[in-house]
Amino acid sequence: MVHFIPSDSPIDQLAPALGPNGLPYSLPIHPNLVHLTIGLFVIAITFDIAGALYPVEKRVFRFLDLPVTRQGFHDVGWYNLLACAIASFFTVGAGFFEMLLAVPLPGVTSSIGLKSMETMLWHGVGGVLILLVIVAMTVWRGYQRFRWRKDMGRQVQWLYLLVGVAMFLVIGLHGTLGAELAAEFGVHITADQLLAAGADLKEALP
Amino acid sequence: MLELLPPLNDHNLPWMDTLHPIVVHFVIAMGLITFVFDLIGSVAKKPALFEVSFWNLLFATAAIFVAILFGQVEAGLADPYGASSDILNWHSTIGWSLAGILSLLSAWRYVIRKNDPKQLPLAFLGAGGVLTVLILVQVTLGNQLIWVYGLHTVKVVEAMRAGLV
Repeated sequence: MVHFIPSDSPIDQLAPALGPNGLPYSLPIHPNLVHLTIGLFVIAITFDIAGALYPVEKRVFRFLDLPVTRQGFHDVGWYNLLACAIASFFTVGAGFFEMLLAVPLPGVTSSIGLKSMETMLWHGVGGVLILLVIVAMTVWRGYQRFRWRKDMGRQVQWLYLLVGVAMFLVIGLHGTLGAELAAEFGVHITADQLLAAGADLKEALP
Repeated sequence: MLELLPPLNDHNLPWMDTLHPIVVHFVIAMGLITFVFDLIGSVAKKPALFEVSFWNLLFATAAIFVAILFGQVEAGLADPYGASSDILNWHSTIGWSLAGILSLLSAWRYVIRKNDPKQLPLAFLGAGGVLTVLILVQVTLGNQLIWVYGLHTVKVVEAMRAGLV
């Protein structure tokens, strides 16, 4: 079978306008927005779990003399997830821009056995799917809060919490791929890219 | 002490990947969202958001000590070169300071909440603004360590072991 034979790399068109890290700026934006996506999602689910298990733990809080309401826990679950959904559009947007400009180090296989293009495809497509799930979960969470479970003490369904915890695993794996693009494939890391280009870091990065 | 840890891998780490950047998700996101929710809660007169920011602040405070723990181990194994040594020193100093500041803010907020959970003094909002700026400075320094100097990346560790940096 005849396979694809690319003639050149379109990144060459932009190379003169890019810094040594392959970006028009020195620090990538996507990995910083990721803090918001992951932090807000994990804490949102965690507090909804705390709200769901409230009858079990309320004695502990009384012992600690920390005034706590179940509604307060579920408020964290709702508002953090809402903020997560909004922030994540920017996380994925910045990720796409920076991945289009990514030139991974050649000849590297990651510690989980993937090459750079496979890692980027999984991380890119996976990122969009995770955004989709986050938005769907936010809508789901909104229906539970404002319609289905409006007058109930436990504002979330067990299934919602289960999906949330399953997403911890998915996001953990997904984040590992992202971390490997940086720490193993050297994407957008000035020092790694300079070393790959044969520069002497003692001069290039004093 | 170091012999208690497993042998170092190609990231110069005793574990698969750097753990500090994972733990700081919770300090950064929860620290910043505390100020955002306090601001929206004050402007839009939505005191329910003050409860949300209180818990986020408490979580950021708990997380920063874990972040420092891993940060110190990984900084100790980082072998910084060139200007990254100074950046790492600043990052460590501000990191420990932030632990103190976050603890103070949590204690202050606990008292505020106990007195009247529906009111937030303007002074606390101001302190939240200062916290936000400090977090952003700290994030920028941390970013330089990884994205400019590539500390703990396979390529830089390889060059270091070959004596190239």
